[in-house]
Amino acid sequence: MPGIDECLLQAMVVPGARGAAIVDWTSGLALGSIGETPGGDHEATAAETAELARMAAEYPTFAPEEETAPDGAKGLPVEDLIVTTRTGYHVVRFVETTFDSSVFLHLWLDRETGNLALARLRLADLAERLVLG
Amino acid sequence: MTAAPTAVSPMLLRLAEERATGVLVRDHGALYLADGQVVHAESPAAPGIEVLLTAGGRLAPEGWQEAVTRAGARREVARFLVDSGQVADGEMEICHLGALHDAAFFALAPGSGPTRFRYGVAHWIGAVRPVPAVAVAREARRRRGLLDSVWPHSEVDTAPLRCRPSGHGATATPRQRTLLELADGVRTPSAIARAVGRPAFNTLLEVRRMAAAGLVETPSDPAVPDPAPLPAWVADFAVDPDIALLRRLRDALEASL
Repeated sequence: MPGIDECLLQAMVVPGARGAAIVDWTSGLALGSIGETPGGDHEATAAETAELARMAAEYPTFAPEEETAPDGAKGLPVEDLIVTTRTGYHVVRFVETTFDSSVFLHLWLDRETGNLALARLRLADLAERLVLG
Repeated sequence: MTAAPTAVSPMLLRLAEERATGVLVRDHGALYLADGQVVHAESPAAPGIEVLLTAGGRLAPEGWQEAVTRAGARREVARFLVDSGQVADGEMEICHLGALHDAAFFALAPGSGPTRFRYGVAHWIGAVRPVPAVAVAREARRRRGLLDSVWPHSEVDTAPLRCRPSGHGATATPRQRTLLELADGVRTPSAIARAVGRPAFNTLLEVRRMAAAGLVETPSDPAVPDPAPLPAWVADFAVDPDIALLRRLRDALEASL
């Protein structure tokens, strides 16, 4: 059961990783960050990513009312967000905690060396282990 | 990042420089320092970490009590909860950082009276994840700016939360609806935050967003004396559906002043 620092270190091991952060999307608070960030300011990046995540987590198109999936599985309505840019990939993975929170993991990848499918799976795994007792 | 004309607390930054250990007490809360870093914060306006952890039902209040009883004296309550498997490491850090910045936001509110520091005092929660004092002060300032950028009316922060009649198009998000369900005209945003087990700042931000969207009342400035009672025929216009539009116009005009 890794803490925030261990989780961020493991995120940086993902091929192509340039930077990572754990962010509260209601307040825009960066709970922890590592590596680079596009604008050079982790706190500004956290606030901007939080706005994007909030839209996805709250608009009914992405987060409909019904809580359960067809297979009966519970969980957060939105799992992750992927933004591709000319030079990189951003993967945002929502973290489900046992208390009321609004937290996600953000990983920024280099487009040349990153593998989006792999990064998404690794980030999902990290998000799960972060809160595993 | 613009340099603030007056730092939130010059004393905090000085204590950080001298790597002080102790508690910084202000009118609206307290910051606990260890070696100049902020290790915990408390404020009457912000729900404590025990509220955040137990409100969701995962951690039983008895579990919290036991941790305080068994590990409080040696100031390792957080460690005890993690080691006994009741709270995951990552969750403890997420929750604690949330509570720390939440209470620090209120404790560092500008102009909140004199600041005192008592050396050597440590909090019983113990070490979780220390935050540099400058980062705490910077975050508190960012939060203040964020609130005002959403809806520059701090009156909504402390007034009892009151729903506005719907019919102007805006709808509340699921997380906002949880707050609105507790808006009984008596509970303040701070009391609602405590009841749902969310940080008070996050709740204030949602309340300002809802006020901006016209979902909750923005009380008029309390400094202005009540106007003379209106004649009854004016009150009759309350049933006019255009009243919602007029209110939105008034709010927009006030916001642009």
